[in-house]
Amino acid sequence: MKTLKILHMYSELLDLYGDNGNMEIIEYRCRMRGITCEIDGYTVGSDIPDFSSYDLVYIGGGADLELNTISADLLRCRDGLKKAYDEGVFLFLVCGGYQLMGKYYRDAGGKEITGLGLFNYYTSAAENRKKQCIGDIVVRTEITGKPVDVVGFESHGGQTMGVKAPFGKVLCGNGNVFQGGAEGYSEKNVIATYLHGPCLAKAPEISDYIISYCVNRGAEAPAELAPLDDTFEHECRKVMLNKLLNKK
Amino acid sequence: MWYHICDTKKTKVKYVKRLLIIIGKIIVKLLRLMKRNAGNLPGIVLWHLSGHKAVSMFKVECPIIAVTGTNGKTSVTSCIAKLFEDSGKKIIINKEGNNLDTGICSLLLRHCDMKGRVKADYLILETDESYVPVVYSQLKLDTLVVLNFFRDQLDRNGAMETLIQKVNGFCKTFDGNLILNGDDPNTARLGRANPKNKNVKYFHAKPYAYATETAFEASEGRFCPFCGEELKYEYYQYSHIGKFRCAKCGFGDYEPYITAENIDLSKPVFTADGNEYSPVINSIYNVYNMTAVAAAAKLYNINQKVTDKVISEYAVNNGRMEKFMLGDCDTTLNLAKNPVGANVTLRVMNEMGGEKELLFVLNDNPADGVDVSWIWDINFSAFENVTRVVTSGARAYDIAVRIKTAGYPAEKIIVCPDLEKSVETLAETSGKKFVIANYTAVQPTREALNRYIEKKGGKA
Repeated sequence: MKTLKILHMYSELLDLYGDNGNMEIIEYRCRMRGITCEIDGYTVGSDIPDFSSYDLVYIGGGADLELNTISADLLRCRDGLKKAYDEGVFLFLVCGGYQLMGKYYRDAGGKEITGLGLFNYYTSAAENRKKQCIGDIVVRTEITGKPVDVVGFESHGGQTMGVKAPFGKVLCGNGNVFQGGAEGYSEKNVIATYLHGPCLAKAPEISDYIISYCVNRGAEAPAELAPLDDTFEHECRKVMLNKLLNKK
Repeated sequence: MWYHICDTKKTKVKYVKRLLIIIGKIIVKLLRLMKRNAGNLPGIVLWHLSGHKAVSMFKVECPIIAVTGTNGKTSVTSCIAKLFEDSGKKIIINKEGNNLDTGICSLLLRHCDMKGRVKADYLILETDESYVPVVYSQLKLDTLVVLNFFRDQLDRNGAMETLIQKVNGFCKTFDGNLILNGDDPNTARLGRANPKNKNVKYFHAKPYAYATETAFEASEGRFCPFCGEELKYEYYQYSHIGKFRCAKCGFGDYEPYITAENIDLSKPVFTADGNEYSPVINSIYNVYNMTAVAAAAKLYNINQKVTDKVISEYAVNNGRMEKFMLGDCDTTLNLAKNPVGANVTLRVMNEMGGEKELLFVLNDNPADGVDVSWIWDINFSAFENVTRVVTSGARAYDIAVRIKTAGYPAEKIIVCPDLEKSVETLAETSGKKFVIANYTAVQPTREALNRYIEKKGGKA
């Protein structure tokens, strides 16, 4: 089977609420199936890599300070990332990574960080501090073709608007905007979300969707992934869904 | 509110302050009569009445020593208090860990006279990091001890940088004694906040047997806060604690006030300023805490015999490296409220020879910070000779998923959300046991261990 090539960008700066864990999970689920996983790092000032040579590019979340630190550097990568995305490389983006792929991020002081503009959405920090979106969140997504409930933790002041194709529907929590109904952005090779936690911890279906997409890129007959024992993950999600959805 | 209404004439202010003290004291008395804990409520009432200046009405005429930092506040505060107590001084300490302005206000209310005067030789106050500027803009501080800054309950405090900035802001105008962990860049940087302060003192530790050349765990503060250059480490003790230096601006060059060396945790023993100490608790983490205590002892000229006794005898029965005999199994319980605490505990566990089993109890109550993502910053791949893992608490499955993903065999993990049952499961087999519990889990876990011992035998 082919080797999965992953580029994990800014892992030492953008790692809020366990975001780096997502790559540990992908790597684990590959390892259990005998799929080799190569994860390269990229940070501010690194040589610009050939983004198209990867199957998956991952960017996590960070506070305003970290976003400011990386934003100029990320712009250098714009053309390479755009090309890779057009060629079908999977983009997995959490929080700050999600925001910066849009048109811009306007912080609480009105200062604008230019986004890469790969997608048409844009983000402005909430004017009212009470509109900070912090807490547990449940999102129902159909990206795999079947409804999957993803449980995570959101913590963002930014309100993201102009999203045409959300990642999923909010069952509990806020999502793209304070008390909103939709969360994140997605395409067949893009998952962009506010969910930390890490969000793949209790959503093995989503991890496998990403892995399956990556290993089958360009293949004529997509190969099925070997099933894994996900009892802990399923029970873990069940506990949280009970707690979050039944309290209302 | 009344405080606002009255004009600023000194006499009036004085009477308002006295009135507030009386109200506060009445609340304390009432709560006592109702047999309720007066740890925080009186302070909350006065906070509202005084226009959010809950400790401004007190007159403290003795030196105040404050201890702050993410981990180790309670231990260091109580040891410093013991230094003075054993020297025959009258001290006041916030023992119950009420470390916000309201908690400190409640404490002072219980110890002041009707005029708000607090009589003691020393006040030793554990103080929450974000409340250092709040409390000590109202009360004059003699010494501030800063132990470390780690990620802790991010959603309550905001990013760690914001927290450091708060304490740093206070330090800019502070010219009292500043005792800083010189091996934590997040803490050591406070030494530059006020260039005019000549009373900055760093404590430092030489590498111990398990110090590493590269970082062992996900770490904070990898970059120089002054020039942005990546910090170079001679060695890491744990997390980002170690001998660091910025090659570009020289941050990290300082003359230590006190240095812990000859650290041998197998005994355990270490020396500081030529004095040998044999602490009860055998973690590198405790060596740092006790070095901070030794620094305070040096600063206040405490008799060496007193310091020896305090450092060598310090042990706590509050789930911090607490020993139990579960049947005939050696069992150690440790609190881990954040990744650093958990990583240090795993290290202590690894450094202990032979096979052992682990029970991890994880809750997600508001005081735990609700979200449990911090468990993903724990380095579980470093498990050595761990033959079985039991997980428990409200988030028992989360920690099971975490440990499994780190590469530990899933078939050796048993999930028992029920605490009682988890202790029974742990005790089913012989051999050494290790128990890690997070903040709100630690007391229930102690109780469950003690109940098991009462029923089935062993020693608390």
